[in-house]
Amino acid sequence: MASTHVTKRAKYKTTIKDPGTPGTLRMTFEKILFVPHNPKSAGKLDVEFRYIKGQKHTKEGSNKPPWLNLTNNQNGSFIFEFENYSDLQECRDFVGKVLAKGGEVSEKPTVAYPDEQLSAAEMELRIKLLQEDSELQKLHKQFVLSGVLTETEFWATRKKLLDREVSKKTKQWLGFKSAMISDIKPSTDGRTNKVTFNLTPEVILQIFAEKPAVHRAFLSYVPNKMSERTFWTKYFRAEYLHSTKNSIAAAAEAAEDEELAVFLKQDDILASEAQKKIRRVDPTLDMEADEGDDYTHLPDHGIFREGNKEMTESQNELYKRSLSQDINRHAAVVLEGRAVDVELEDTKAVAEALAQSKQKSSNKGESDGDISRERLDRLSRMTEIEDLQGPNTLPLAPLCIKDPRDYFDSQQANALRTSGDALGGIEQIKCGLSTQEVYGSLRESISSIKAMGLKEPIVKPEVAHQVFDALTNSISNTKYHIGKNPQESVLDRLPRKTKEELLHHWTSILELLKHFWASYPITTTYLYAKVNRLKDAMSNIYPQLEEIKGSVPSELRHQVSLLVRPMHQALDAAIQHYEASMQKRSAQSGERPNGYV
Amino acid sequence: MKFQIEDVTVYFPYDHIYPEQYSYMIELKRTLDAKGHCLLEMPTGTGKTIALLSLITSYSLSKPQSPMKLIYCTRTVHEMEKTLAELKILHNYQIKHLGPQARILAIGLSSRKNLCVNPTVVAAENRDSVDAGCRKLTASWVRALAEENTDVTTCEFFESYEKAASAAVLPPGVYTLQELRAFGKEKGWCPYFLARHMVQFANVVVYSYQYLLDPKVAGIISKEMQKESVVVFDEAHNIDNVCIEALSVSVRRQTLEGATRNLSRISQEIDRFKATDTSILRAEYNRLVEGLVPGGNLPITDNWLSNPALPDDILKEAVPGNIRRAEHFLHVLRRLVQYLSGRLDTENVEEESPVGFVASISSHAGIDQKTLKFCYDRLHSLMLTLEITDTDEFLHIQTICDFATLVGTYGRGFSTIIEPFDERVPHIPDPVLQLSCHDASLAIKPVFDRFQSVVITSGTLSPIDLYPRLLNFHPVVSRSFTMSLTRDCICPMVLTRGSDQLPVSTKFDMRSDPGVVRNYGKLLLEMVSVVPDGIVCFFVSYSYMDGIINTWNDSGILKEIMQHKLVFIETQEVVETTLALDNYRRACDCGRGAVFFSVARGKVAKGIDFDRHYGRLVIMIGVPFQYTLSKILLARLEYLRDTFQIKEGDFLTFDALRQAAQCVGRVIRSKADYGMMIFADKRYSRHDKRSKLPSWILSHLQDANLNLSTDMALHIAREFLKKMAQPYDKTGSSDKKTLLSQEEMEKLGDGSMHEMSY
Repeated sequence: MASTHVTKRAKYKTTIKDPGTPGTLRMTFEKILFVPHNPKSAGKLDVEFRYIKGQKHTKEGSNKPPWLNLTNNQNGSFIFEFENYSDLQECRDFVGKVLAKGGEVSEKPTVAYPDEQLSAAEMELRIKLLQEDSELQKLHKQFVLSGVLTETEFWATRKKLLDREVSKKTKQWLGFKSAMISDIKPSTDGRTNKVTFNLTPEVILQIFAEKPAVHRAFLSYVPNKMSERTFWTKYFRAEYLHSTKNSIAAAAEAAEDEELAVFLKQDDILASEAQKKIRRVDPTLDMEADEGDDYTHLPDHGIFREGNKEMTESQNELYKRSLSQDINRHAAVVLEGRAVDVELEDTKAVAEALAQSKQKSSNKGESDGDISRERLDRLSRMTEIEDLQGPNTLPLAPLCIKDPRDYFDSQQANALRTSGDALGGIEQIKCGLSTQEVYGSLRESISSIKAMGLKEPIVKPEVAHQVFDALTNSISNTKYHIGKNPQESVLDRLPRKTKEELLHHWTSILELLKHFWASYPITTTYLYAKVNRLKDAMSNIYPQLEEIKGSVPSELRHQVSLLVRPMHQALDAAIQHYEASMQKRSAQSGERPNGYV
Repeated sequence: MKFQIEDVTVYFPYDHIYPEQYSYMIELKRTLDAKGHCLLEMPTGTGKTIALLSLITSYSLSKPQSPMKLIYCTRTVHEMEKTLAELKILHNYQIKHLGPQARILAIGLSSRKNLCVNPTVVAAENRDSVDAGCRKLTASWVRALAEENTDVTTCEFFESYEKAASAAVLPPGVYTLQELRAFGKEKGWCPYFLARHMVQFANVVVYSYQYLLDPKVAGIISKEMQKESVVVFDEAHNIDNVCIEALSVSVRRQTLEGATRNLSRISQEIDRFKATDTSILRAEYNRLVEGLVPGGNLPITDNWLSNPALPDDILKEAVPGNIRRAEHFLHVLRRLVQYLSGRLDTENVEEESPVGFVASISSHAGIDQKTLKFCYDRLHSLMLTLEITDTDEFLHIQTICDFATLVGTYGRGFSTIIEPFDERVPHIPDPVLQLSCHDASLAIKPVFDRFQSVVITSGTLSPIDLYPRLLNFHPVVSRSFTMSLTRDCICPMVLTRGSDQLPVSTKFDMRSDPGVVRNYGKLLLEMVSVVPDGIVCFFVSYSYMDGIINTWNDSGILKEIMQHKLVFIETQEVVETTLALDNYRRACDCGRGAVFFSVARGKVAKGIDFDRHYGRLVIMIGVPFQYTLSKILLARLEYLRDTFQIKEGDFLTFDALRQAAQCVGRVIRSKADYGMMIFADKRYSRHDKRSKLPSWILSHLQDANLNLSTDMALHIAREFLKKMAQPYDKTGSSDKKTLLSQEEMEKLGDGSMHEMSY
C-alpha cells in the first residue's frame, strides 16, 4: 500500500456553518486525529476509523470549498475544510481505502491507546504480531476490547515481543519436509489396476525444486503442448518405470515417447549446476581435485579387480538413476530451504515463482573473489587446533520456538524415555524452606562470591543438569500422566472444541493472574481499579469452566475435571488474596488513604 | 610459543602444546640428527602435522649453513591444502619472531587440472583432456608453428611465463594451490609451469605420494630433488598399497580395442610424414641409434608421463635395432596386441610369473624381453616425433606399452593373472589381464636410497614392526605414542547384538539376513535420535551399502531416520560425493544434523576428517575385509608368506582392522573434541581381531563395552554425550598435564622430564 497515513492541514468544523478550527489532520488506518494549531482551542479530535461509516465530499469545480464530511455510526459527522482540492482528493482516497477494508477491519485486531502516543511503526508491529499469532489475538480481543485490560497493560507484559530486533529476526522460513517425494505412495482402489496419486502444490514445489528438468519441462509443455493432467500422468509413468529398476524397459519406452524421455534421462541441469557448485566446495574435502591429481589410476592402471573396487554396469547408463542420487539431491534441497514464499494454490504459479527465484539467485551469483575468500575461510577453520587456540564460533541460526507447547510436549516424550533408564525416580527436592534458611543460604553464597569471585561455571554442571531434567519432566507431564499410555496425551483424546476451549481458558487465566499478581501491592487508585476489573473478569470464568465440564461426555468428565482443577486452584488463590487484602484495606482505610497493603 | 629441544629453537604457532607433540618432536629431531629413517605412530587429533612442520622448519632454520628441503607427501589434494594452510600459520608466526630471515618458499604441486588458469583448457572435464588441451597449446612444435602462422593459438599464460624467463619466480611465502592460481592469474603467468620450475628452489614442497612413488610421475617431477631432503609420508598406513598400485597394470578388452585404433591412427600419421617430410623420421632413427633415451633434454612442456619402471631398472643403452624404425615398432606393437587379445580369450583363470609370460610372448609373438622393456620409451619418442598433442586419445596404447615395459623389466615380485570373468558375477564375461606387483618395497626403495631422512607417520601404524618388513627398510626410530587425554573424550564400543539380542555381522553367510539388516537399521535409527550433529556410517562395500539402503528404504527405516537427520550418501561418482560431503558439512554447521553413509575402502574413508560436530559418532558396520577370493590378493598373500613369513590370516586381519581404525579414527581433532565409535559386528569381540586396533583406541575400550546390544549402546551413548557436554579444565589435573603452556615447557627444557612416559 502506498502510504500508511496521511497528514494535511485542514480546518475542523462541527457544523457547516462553523468557521472551523485550523489545525493538522492526520489519518492512519486505525484512526483520525485532529490537532488544532492553537493548543488552547477546543476541537481536538481523536476518532477511530471503525466508527466511521461513510464519507461525503464537495466536487471540484463547484463553488464550494474543498470539504470532506465523515459520518460516524451515531449519525454525527466531522467536517474538514482543506486548503485545496488535491489535499482533499488524497484524503478522500485514503478514507476510501480504509473503509473498503471495512469487512476485514471488523475481523482485524484494532488497537486503541488512550494514554500513549505510538509511532506508526510500533502500531504496525503490534498489529503484525496479533495477526501472526491467533492466540494472542484472541486474548487481545477478550481483554483489551472488553476493557478488562488497557492496551498498554496488555503489551507491557510482552515487551520482548515488541523488541524490534527480535521481531525482525524471527521471520523463519518454513522448510521442506524431510520425507522424500518418492514416498508419495499411490492409492489403489483394490479392484482395478488403476492407481491414483495425490499431488498437492507443496509436493509439486518439492518435485520442481529437486528435479529442475521436470520444472523446465513443465514450463515449456504446459499448457501449450499438453494439459497439466497429462504432464503429471507421464511423470508418474516415468517414476513407475524407474522404480521397476528395469533400465532396458525404460530405454525402450523413452525411445518411443520423447516427452517421457525427459523424465527418465539424467537431469542435465543438475549436472551443470554440480559443475558450478564444485568450484565452491570446501577445499579440505575436494575429492574432485584429488582425482585430477591421481596419475596412478590412469584408466587400467593400478590394481583392477582387487576386491575392494567394484564394477558398475554401464549399460543404459542414460536411464539409470540410483536411489543414492535421489537421496543426496533431496537432502541438498531440504538444506537449501525453500526459495519461494507464495501462497501455494496453483501449479503454474508455483512453477513460475520458482523460476523467478532461481533467476534472481543466479543473477546474484557471487564473484570469484567472494568464492575464494569463502573457501579460504573454511580452510582456515578446518586447520586450527581448537584447544591450542581461542575458540571459533560458527554462524548459527538462532533457535526460534514458535510454539513452546509443542516444544515441551516433545521434550516430555524424551524426558520420559530417559527417566526410564537414567534415574529410577527423582529425589524429592526439599521445597519447604523457612525464610531464615533461604536468607541464610543467600547470604552465604553472596559472601562466598565476594570472597572468591564468580566461579566458572557458576552453577555446577550436575546441578544444572538435574534442574533441567526435573523441569522437562514436570512441564506438561499431567497431560501425559493422566493418559493411559505415555505416548498419547489426554488432550488429544478430548473433542477438538473442548480441547481448544480448555487451552484458551488456561492462557486467559494465566494472563489475568499475571496482571493480577503484578498489581500487588496496591499503591495507587489506578491499580486498585485494575485489580477490581481483573477480579470481575476472573469470577466470570468459573461458570464457563463448569460449562465445559458439563459439555463433555461422561467418560471424559473425570479427566477434564482433573485438568480444570489447577485452574480453579489458581483462581481461588487469587480471589482469596483479593478478599483478604480488601478486608485489611477497609480496616485500615481511615489511616491510610493511599491504600498501602 | 618458542622452546628449545637440545640445540634447536622450535617455533610453535600456538600458545599451548600437547606433551605428545613435544615428545614426537624429540623423536623426530633424533631422526634428523642421525640422518636416518623413522616410523612414528601418533593418534589422530594430536596435531601431528603441525608438530612435524614446526620441528622440521625450525631445524633447518637453526642450521642455515646446510639448508634442508622438506618434501611433504600427502595422499590427497585436500590434505595438501590443509597442510599448506597449517604451514602458513606457522610461517607467519616464525616471521613475526625471527623477521625476514625466517622466510621460506613453500608450494603445493598438483596436476594441470588443478592449477591451470587458462579458461578454455581447464573447462575440459577430466584430467587427461586438460593435459592434452595444454599440450595442444604449449608443445614445442605448436609454438614453433605459431611463430610463423598467427592463426595457431597458443596459451597466453604460458607465453608470458616464457617471456619473463628467469624473472618468473615466486616471491617467498606459502602458496596453497588456490593462491598459486591467483598469483598466476594476477601476473599472467602459467601457475603450473611456474610451480614445476619453483620446485627446485622451494624449501618446502607439498605434493601427492605418487609424485615420489609412481615412477611414471616421479620420473619427471622429482628427478632433481637433492639428497639433503627430508621426505615425510603423512597418513602412511596405506603406503604399501600405494606402492603396489603404482607398479600394477591391467589390460581389458576395451584397452586392446582402443590400442588397435590408436595403432591405425599412428600408422596414418607415419604415412603422412613419409609423404611430406621423411627427414623427421630419419632424424629420430639416428637419435635412437645413438642410444639417447628420450625425455632427457626435452622442453618442459613436451614432457609426458615417464617410464613406468623405476629409474634404476631402466637400461641406459641404445634402443634395440628391430624397433628403431617407426613402422617396425608399429609391427611389434600390433603383434603384441594380437597376442594379448589371444590370451584374453581364455576360459580359465591363468596365473603366470612375468618370466614365463615373457617367454611365451617371445615364442608366440617373436618379441624378446629387451624389446618389451623399451616399448614405453620408444612409444614416447614416436609420439613426440609425430607431433601428437591429443595424448588423451592415446591412453590405451600407452597402457599396453606400460605393461610391456613392466613385464619385461621385472622378473620377481610380480605375477600376471588372466581372469575370464569377475567371480562375483560369473555370467558376465569380462576378461582381464593383470600384471600385479606384490612387493611394496620395490617402488619405495629408490626413495629410501636417495633421501637422507624419510619419515613415515600416521595415526594407525599398528603393528608397528610390520611396516619395516613390508617396505624393507631399517628405521633408526620406530615409536608408537599413545594419547594423554584430559577426559575420556573417545568412546569406542563393540556392538555384537541387535535390539532383538540376535548377533549382527557382515560375515558372508549372515550379511543379507533380513534380521541383521533390520538390526543395523534399528541401531542407526536409535542413534540418530540421541546423537547431535553429524553421524558417519561406514559399510564394507558399495554393493552392500546399496543393498542395505534399498532395504531400509523399502521397510521405511530410512524415512524414520530422515525425520531426525538429513541423509547423504557416498557414490562412486566423485563430483556427486564431493557435493554430498559439502552439504553434509553445511547441515552440521547450521545445526540441522546429518548422517553420512560411506564405504570403508572408498574415497571418503581415505582422508576426509569427521572431527568435531562433523562426526560425533562413527558406526563401522561390519569388518572391512578385502574380497578374499580375489586372485590378486591370493597371489599377494602367497608372496608375503614366502618372502616375509607373514601368515595370510594375520595379514588379512591386519589390513581389515587398519581400515576400520582409519574410518573411526578421524572423529577427533584435538583433546577438546569428543566422539564415539561403534564397531558393529560380533567378530570385533574376538581378541585376535580386536587386538589389531591401534593402542590409543584399545586403551579406551572398556571391558564392559565389548559385547553390547543396541539398547545398551544407546544407554552408554546418552551418558557419554551428557558427560561430554559439561565444561572441564582443559589443562588437565596437576599430576598429569595434557596441555602445556610456555612456562611449563621451559621447565621441561631443563631436562627434568626429558624421558616422558607417553
